[in-house]
Amino acid sequence: MSEAAPHLVVRGVSKRYGPTTVLDHIDLTIRRGELVTLLGPSGCGKTTLLRAIAGLAQPDAGKVELAGRDITNVPPHKRNVSVVFQSYALFPHLTVAGNVAFGLKVRGAAKREIDAAVERALSLVKLGHLAGRRISALSGGQQQRVALARAIAVEPDVLLFDEALSALDRKLREEMQVELRRLLQDVKATAIFVTHDQDEALTMSDRVAVMNKGRIEQLAEPRELYLRPASLFALNFVGLSTRIAGTVLAASNGKVDVETKVGRLSALGNFQTGSSVIVAARPEQLRISEQGDANSAAGRVRSVVFQGSRTLVEVDAGAGESLLAELSGRDGAIPRVHDEIRLSWPVTETFAFPMEAQA
Amino acid sequence: MTRAAIIVCWVMAIGLALFLIIPLLVIAAASFSPTPVFDLPLTGASTRWYGRISRLDGFWPSLLLSLQIALFSTAISLVCGTLAAIAIARGKLPGAGVFATALVSPLMMPGLVLGIALLQGFRAVGFAAPWATLLVAHLVITLPYVARTMIAGLARFDFTLIEAARTLGCTYPGGVLRVMVPALAPSFLIAGIFSFLASFDNYPVSIFLADVRTKTLPIRMLQYIEEAPDPTLAALSTLILAGTVILLFVSDRVVGLHRMAGTSD
Amino acid sequence: MTEAALPAPVTAPAVDRERLAAIGFVLPSFVIIAGVFALPLVLLLGVSIVDANGLTFAHYKRLLGTPYYLGVIWNSLRLGLLTTLIAFLISYPAAFALARARGPLRSVLLATLFLPLAASVIVKAFAWTILLRSDGIVNETLMALGIIEDPIRMIFTETALIVGAVNIFLPFMILPIYAIVAQLDPRYAEAAATLGASPVGTFFRVILPLTLPGIIAGVALVFSLSVSAYVVPTLLIGEKYPTLATTIAKAYLLAREPGFGAAAGVVLLGIAIAIVALSARLSREPK
Repeated sequence: MSEAAPHLVVRGVSKRYGPTTVLDHIDLTIRRGELVTLLGPSGCGKTTLLRAIAGLAQPDAGKVELAGRDITNVPPHKRNVSVVFQSYALFPHLTVAGNVAFGLKVRGAAKREIDAAVERALSLVKLGHLAGRRISALSGGQQQRVALARAIAVEPDVLLFDEALSALDRKLREEMQVELRRLLQDVKATAIFVTHDQDEALTMSDRVAVMNKGRIEQLAEPRELYLRPASLFALNFVGLSTRIAGTVLAASNGKVDVETKVGRLSALGNFQTGSSVIVAARPEQLRISEQGDANSAAGRVRSVVFQGSRTLVEVDAGAGESLLAELSGRDGAIPRVHDEIRLSWPVTETFAFPMEAQA
Repeated sequence: MTRAAIIVCWVMAIGLALFLIIPLLVIAAASFSPTPVFDLPLTGASTRWYGRISRLDGFWPSLLLSLQIALFSTAISLVCGTLAAIAIARGKLPGAGVFATALVSPLMMPGLVLGIALLQGFRAVGFAAPWATLLVAHLVITLPYVARTMIAGLARFDFTLIEAARTLGCTYPGGVLRVMVPALAPSFLIAGIFSFLASFDNYPVSIFLADVRTKTLPIRMLQYIEEAPDPTLAALSTLILAGTVILLFVSDRVVGLHRMAGTSD
Repeated sequence: MTEAALPAPVTAPAVDRERLAAIGFVLPSFVIIAGVFALPLVLLLGVSIVDANGLTFAHYKRLLGTPYYLGVIWNSLRLGLLTTLIAFLISYPAAFALARARGPLRSVLLATLFLPLAASVIVKAFAWTILLRSDGIVNETLMALGIIEDPIRMIFTETALIVGAVNIFLPFMILPIYAIVAQLDPRYAEAAATLGASPVGTFFRVILPLTLPGIIAGVALVFSLSVSAYVVPTLLIGEKYPTLATTIAKAYLLAREPGFGAAAGVVLLGIAIAIVALSARLSREPK
């Protein structure tokens, strides 16, 4: 039971800075050993939430519980929650070993214990050979690993990553994502990751919390988030999509018929007749074909972007609407710019969302 | 920081500010004293001491002298110091670090010692003209301020900006004029102000190079204080302070006092 | 088509030209520093070991051998130590508050630092003579508050000297410290806290070491200035507290003893150089 028991619980946490509500009644439960990513654009509150969990920011309302203990009013140095910062915040006046040993020294551990822990942590991040180096002599990637080793060495209850990979260049970043995942699983640590990079979130996480304007819009496994986005925002933030505006003509059994500028489309959703909705589908669902029962629309190809294993085709469907399809070339030749084509996609993979003022 | 620590820090900061301001306020208040004795708190106010400033023995010549020396030495130092700072910052100078340290070193040396050393030195080479000796001595006083400020300012200057200007059509001197001069203008102003004040207020060096007829204003003032202190001196000091306030105000508008604090360490 | 030898690469002469220009730029300043600063100091050293009869160490023997002058040197050092210590204790916490200040408050506080810097030492010392007189504001206030009955004799005491010296040299302590503290990344303290350091632990393990360069700079500067102060002791305590600085001034301006004055100057210079060297050494310690 201990593996699946909630480890970290955030209940109704709210925070305001002046007139702005930065966190709006956040509820979040994380299991021991899970890696949950907080994903969202700047200003959505993800960093504030992270800091509230670390104790670096005080919520105006709500509670934070760790392993059953209420830590809402506990200062950060008593929480055993480590943070890896975006800028690493490595102490320039200490060596690599000195940095990694810091948390243990502060706890008054014996020298032998400290040395062993430092060695362990550094070998986990593969930097054992740099123990005596000055921080200024390290590359960005090395500094990142030292920051990680420092956070792990104290064996925290929860590890928090505040955009920790943002400062790395792309290749290094992708390598670190994989390594970090593996390392966290080895150490069986509970971790929360904050990022605005959706690829990173999907790659690394057990679950992803998509945040927008201080609320969690959807908390789900990456696959679920991609295939079944709960809101227009989640749809837009993760992955590409075709989006067409329309009005609901008829609704029954969780399905709606929508009148749009490219014709009548059907989608999954529950709406009143006459509601304004956005009908959407993922690009890989669109195929060149004439399928009877499916949604379909036609238009002129505006652009064809070759991306290796897939090709993105953008189609101008008229009246300002466009379709985005991901074709693999297995269903026939990839169309060329200016070709007239018809695309179809299944109704079961079409979503309808309420039309918001700003999508 | 804990709440208690923050309170202590603020108490210290406010206390420090008051402690530093109080003597200046006292001087200003004393300058309006109705009686020749410094009667504080003031029982009345009189501006007659301000009128008496011009009648202080030897006042005008010493004021003129101090202004001239300060202006000329600052001007010369600004030119020499800025050129040196450019050479040091560019990185093409062998031993740039050594030069930089040497240029700034007089700031840490006791002015008094420099004063007597110059007295000996000028005597040894037969250089005796008081105005000229003062000017040369004040070059050593002002140059380090310029060097320190301009080196710091130039260290932050990105020389590739000039290259960018050249790719957009400027000549090299044109690039310098259009790009570097505006970027360095604030540092230049700060350097000028610090140098001017350092020279104008200087006592320990000037005292050894002055003679009976050539006295800078600080020398005269110390003389007045030791011989016959009266509120006229307070009035004079207040005027000097007022001038400094204006200078500081201008600096804050142009550069910002916060930046000056960062550069002047 | 005659393909003559390719033109010689233009790079080498251009680099030399730039180097020459750099040296040319530095030359005037170098001449000033070497000729009007370094040389006279060397000459001073020479003058200090000469008297009417030729080479001699008599001046140094007198300066470092007689109890009176040893006391004078000790006075200078004591003035330096006390001023520096008090100035530091006030400035260090104040710098943190100043670094947190924003907007108009910050401008006002910074102005209170810069304004005295721009006023002459003479003006400020004069102000203290007015403040500390028997009928001055301090005495009047204390009597009005009922703390004392009769005016205390404050001027021409060591207390007056230290108060005045601290007042005058305080900006030189706080500005270097402030410059460092203002740039201190708050993430360091946050990182230390998340790693388990209490606020006290964070201060001693992280904040203090990281602000050390500013502390060293401020301490070195204030010590150097206060050890060699002349105007402040002269106006606030006078003959009762002879220092190296007043000894030098007397030797040159009154007693006409240039050799002895030079020796005192060299000792003072030696102290200043020692401070600079020590602070440079401490600053270079691996951080």
